[in-house]
Amino acid sequence: MAANTNSIAPSMPAWADERAIERFLIREVGLLDERRFEDWRDLFTEDGHYWVPLRWGQDSPDGESSLFYDDRKIMATRFERLRHPNIHSQSPAHRTCRIVGNVVIERIDAALGEVHVASNMIMTDYRQRVSRVFSGRVHHLLRRNGDDFKIVLKKVELTNCDDVFELIAVPF
Amino acid sequence: MQYDLGTLRKLVHRDHVHRSVYLDPQLFTLEMARIFGRGWVYVGHDSLVPNPGDFLTTRIGTQPVVLSRHTDGKIHVIYNSCGHRGAIVCNEEKGNAKLFRCCYHGWTFKTNGDLDAVAMPRGYGTSFDPRDPALGMGRLPRVETYRGFVFASLASDGPSLEEHLGFARTSIDELVDRAPDGEIDLSAGVHRYMFRGNWKLQLENSVDMYHVPFSHESSVSRSGRQFDRGTGQQAGSAISDRGSAAQKWEQRSAWGSRSSGHGYAGHQPVAEEENTDPIHRAYVTLLEKRHGKERTREILQPKRHNTAFFPNMTLQALNQHVRVIVPISVDRTEVNVYPIRLKGAPDEMNRQFVRHLNLTHSAASLIQTDDLECFRRCQEGLASQGSDWVWFARGVETDREDERGDYVNNGTVEVQQRAQFAAWIKLMTAEA
Ligand code: FES
Ligand SMILES: [Fe+2]
Repeated sequence: MAANTNSIAPSMPAWADERAIERFLIREVGLLDERRFEDWRDLFTEDGHYWVPLRWGQDSPDGESSLFYDDRKIMATRFERLRHPNIHSQSPAHRTCRIVGNVVIERIDAALGEVHVASNMIMTDYRQRVSRVFSGRVHHLLRRNGDDFKIVLKKVELTNCDDVFELIAVPF
Repeated sequence: MQYDLGTLRKLVHRDHVHRSVYLDPQLFTLEMARIFGRGWVYVGHDSLVPNPGDFLTTRIGTQPVVLSRHTDGKIHVIYNSCGHRGAIVCNEEKGNAKLFRCCYHGWTFKTNGDLDAVAMPRGYGTSFDPRDPALGMGRLPRVETYRGFVFASLASDGPSLEEHLGFARTSIDELVDRAPDGEIDLSAGVHRYMFRGNWKLQLENSVDMYHVPFSHESSVSRSGRQFDRGTGQQAGSAISDRGSAAQKWEQRSAWGSRSSGHGYAGHQPVAEEENTDPIHRAYVTLLEKRHGKERTREILQPKRHNTAFFPNMTLQALNQHVRVIVPISVDRTEVNVYPIRLKGAPDEMNRQFVRHLNLTHSAASLIQTDDLECFRRCQEGLASQGSDWVWFARGVETDREDERGDYVNNGTVEVQQRAQFAAWIKLMTAEA
């Protein structure tokens, strides 16, 4: 298998380089901060999903409410709306600032070219005199895509997942 | 400002109300006493406490209560406050317990709220009687259930729940009849959100068909339709295609009861479109097995889009959910939105209901967020003295009375809000 011949150790193929993964995660949230939503969506595989559970310990989006559970089609609808000139909840828009850290490669599936990555995120947002802080543990399932990655699943376990939220407009 | 009956009556006119009803903390206190503190208030659904010992914590107005299923299977609504020194007894959102135990000095209570035992009881004198009901958590005097919907009243007498629900009861029937097993389930999670505005803004809005093309403009595509929301739908709700849809919106039925404050808005045009999805077909077959073809057709006939049960619960058919309004203060409100699963319907169909509600009514949804923004702007704008009046005049000249004396009308009128304020002033000025 190509991935294995390149690898330094059999358990750690070269494409699953920790630094490359971290750079990918930083680039990913940067696109959201810059409101480049369509570019962010393009990071997902065709069958990719973005999921933010509402219950601590929730292990499935199926049959239970979630704050977000978007496939690419829903993302397209969501971002089309975010571009609408008369989107009242985003006039003015939220400004956001995110930090990614504590990146850990949890598991590599060399045969599938997939890697499970966990990280911590902190995001602040601001709109019309209201500042908020969100934080959480983020789980990425990334699939190797040449020298880069695609996101198969991004799951954000918010620290306050079961909070009473004021309106939220953009993904974490 | 002292609110005697005369002053209160000057606040509410048939088609306009004084802005202070959204702004004045004193009126909010009166509402908590005279509306939430007397009449029937929705508390929860029995599918959230299916087994003996199951409980969930919520509020009636601003008072913390526990909805509990006692060991004998009976549902009670109990004040969530210890009979000793008042601490919250049930601290979790939900759970199952044999006894409720207070964290502070260890008193225990039965799941019907009665005092079970006092910790270290030997230290008490003869004047202390643990059988005194005042030492329990206290039960709400009246609790009644209609097809799984649990309501309670803080007043020991008054109209029955059936009288209170009146004709609006048929909205619950319509919804529950759509479940092949004749029951619904609300246990698939809850969306919670908060807005910096008065609780009535959400109540009015839930049956407001006038705001849709404007508030929700950003969710309407160039074709005049929204995104599709369910199995087998090719496109979503026809909001503003300027043609047949607009006309259909004006034909929708509208109803509001001046005595109870309940009201509904007729179905959205999209509900009439044929659904040929195989999962939907399988669901129809299940209903037909139970009810036969003719009754099934009647059950599935679209009738209502949403119904508001004054003061704190709404039902919506298109994005199937129960919404509960929790007033926090005069300018702060929380809302809980529960997806509805139809018992006996195909699993996949229920999964899709839950999933589509994420998209329309989560705190990060494509629909509800614009309403929340409008509520906040109302609350802020009403502080201005530019005009003292808030208007609900649309369609006032075409309101008709039905045989019950309720208002009926058609289309994108504000008849439901007129009915809500008629009931509001009736309750606010009623003799205790
Ligand atoms: S306050 Fe509950 S036992 Fe003392
Ligand atoms: Fe709305």
